[in-house]
Amino acid sequence: MADNAPARLYQAFVSQDPAGAITVIERAKAGGVPQAQLFDQLFAPAMSLLGGAWASGAIDEYTFTQAAVVAEQITSFVIPPATAGDTGVTVLVGTMHHDLHETEKDITAAALKEAGHRVIDLGVDVRPAEFLERAEETGARILIVFAEMMATARSVSRVREMFTAGGRDDVVMFVAGGPFSADPQLARSVGANGICRGAESALKLVGKVAGRVGGGS
Amino acid sequence: MAGRSQQALLAEGLARQGHVAPAVDACYRVLANDDSDPLVHALLADLFLSGDFYDEAIRAASRAIELDPGCAPAYLALGLAYDRRGGMWDQSILVWHELAEVAPQLVTAHVQLGEAFAAAAFEEEAIEAWRVALELDPHEARAMYDLAVAALKKEGMATALPGFRKAGELDPSQDDFFFGLAGVYDDGTPAPDPIDVAPDRASRLAAAFALAFEEDFFSAVDLIRLILDDDPDDAEALALAGYLYLKQEAVNEAMAVALRALAVSTKTPTAVYVLGAAFAKRPGLNRNSARVFDALAKAVPNHPMPHVLLAESLLSLQRFGTAKAAYLRAVELDPTCVRARFGLAAVLLTEGEHARAHWEIRRAAYHDTRRQGLFWRLYDTYAEGRE
Repeated sequence: MADNAPARLYQAFVSQDPAGAITVIERAKAGGVPQAQLFDQLFAPAMSLLGGAWASGAIDEYTFTQAAVVAEQITSFVIPPATAGDTGVTVLVGTMHHDLHETEKDITAAALKEAGHRVIDLGVDVRPAEFLERAEETGARILIVFAEMMATARSVSRVREMFTAGGRDDVVMFVAGGPFSADPQLARSVGANGICRGAESALKLVGKVAGRVGGGS
Repeated sequence: MAGRSQQALLAEGLARQGHVAPAVDACYRVLANDDSDPLVHALLADLFLSGDFYDEAIRAASRAIELDPGCAPAYLALGLAYDRRGGMWDQSILVWHELAEVAPQLVTAHVQLGEAFAAAAFEEEAIEAWRVALELDPHEARAMYDLAVAALKKEGMATALPGFRKAGELDPSQDDFFFGLAGVYDDGTPAPDPIDVAPDRASRLAAAFALAFEEDFFSAVDLIRLILDDDPDDAEALALAGYLYLKQEAVNEAMAVALRALAVSTKTPTAVYVLGAAFAKRPGLNRNSARVFDALAKAVPNHPMPHVLLAESLLSLQRFGTAKAAYLRAVELDPTCVRARFGLAAVLLTEGEHARAHWEIRRAAYHDTRRQGLFWRLYDTYAEGRE
């Protein structure tokens, strides 16, 4: 870093000056330090100085604690947000009609949301027409249909037929559930574009096609 | 009731020492003379269970309960046998329910009952059972792990992960790992009085670790201060200071001294641990905690805990496949690691592998009851109660 920003941040901590600390951070950003690097390049070295000052007795326990409070106050300026920003990609998820299994759907939906995707969860026992209606309403172009039983897995073909009849062949349909993981041919036969083999797989597949198909509204 | 025969005591002694086959043999000798002692049948059930003979364990435990419906150790063996055999969830629920009635203050009975409910997809009932367990003992780590898994099923990993970490903090294995890194083990010797500690660095540091082990944090900090007054760049003392701050929820202070320790010496595993643990408490620093725990796992590759901590950080980054590999490594290193088994179960759930996930939870349950010595506690209480 061009100037000694960590030392100035440390000084702001021990002076109990949160506004000064924020100024140091803003200047570092203006000086070209990316947001994602603020913690490593600025905050952590300043905290190391703080620890050193406490160890050497340069600051007493009370000042150390107060400085830690100031550090806490400005943490949100230097720590990346816990959840990803909005990707603008809308994903419809739902469990097939006559199928009430929801655990894998819920876990996958939560993972997609955490990755910043706009997830519309249609729940369980979803009729093929409802998938189409909600895709029309939201403009979603990515759909994940869950099915955990052979009969309901086979019936996912009705969802593809519904979208084809509605002139929505542009929608990418992924399938998920035990029957599809066990038999990839089944996924092909119902007109799926891919199989989500768990939450991480769904994240990868959605990430892969998101740029191509866009996310809808 | 008459006292136990010499042969029964022999069987019991062999079983306590882990000599399974001779103990089974001794049990059969007792039963050949008199098959009316429920304790011997319960013991036999536990021995069968330890050898993975589930049907035999079920028969022996059922016989014990027939002879005395108040035989708590038999319920434990029977429930564990049903759980591990699989496919008998209705029976399993009944047994754990019975045990919870026979021994209502037995926390594990409620935890097991919850797990049996969860395996049968009665999620609400399961959560209620774990809540009862936590009311009985707020430090019951397994109930907390179970609730974290339940949260995962409903609301995903971001909601579940704090629960896993909270359970991990209740589980003493993480603190044991820290002290293990420092070469401090519980040898039964009490920590010294701080005023009796010799005024040299080694004595003070050893005493500070011993006091920290006994959770006398203030006395430990006083000794650390004396060490740092002589040498502010003592990385090991700084790392222990960081641990003490961490234990008092002072995360920034812990982070500051751990960073200082590592600025002095990067080869201080205790400081690496403290820094990783401090990072892990900040949801936005998952990438940093993963990096730190990855370094720790490489520095201490043969201990399961750094792999578990790494895996938990990877879960927060949604890198489930890599987390799974780390958990598998931890389980390979220590098959009894309850925290790793629950974490592995969580990853398997993200992959839609429900049966395997519940299998891991059942293994965790078995090892947890073994770790607690629960069978023997129930056995001894039951034996004392009838003498």
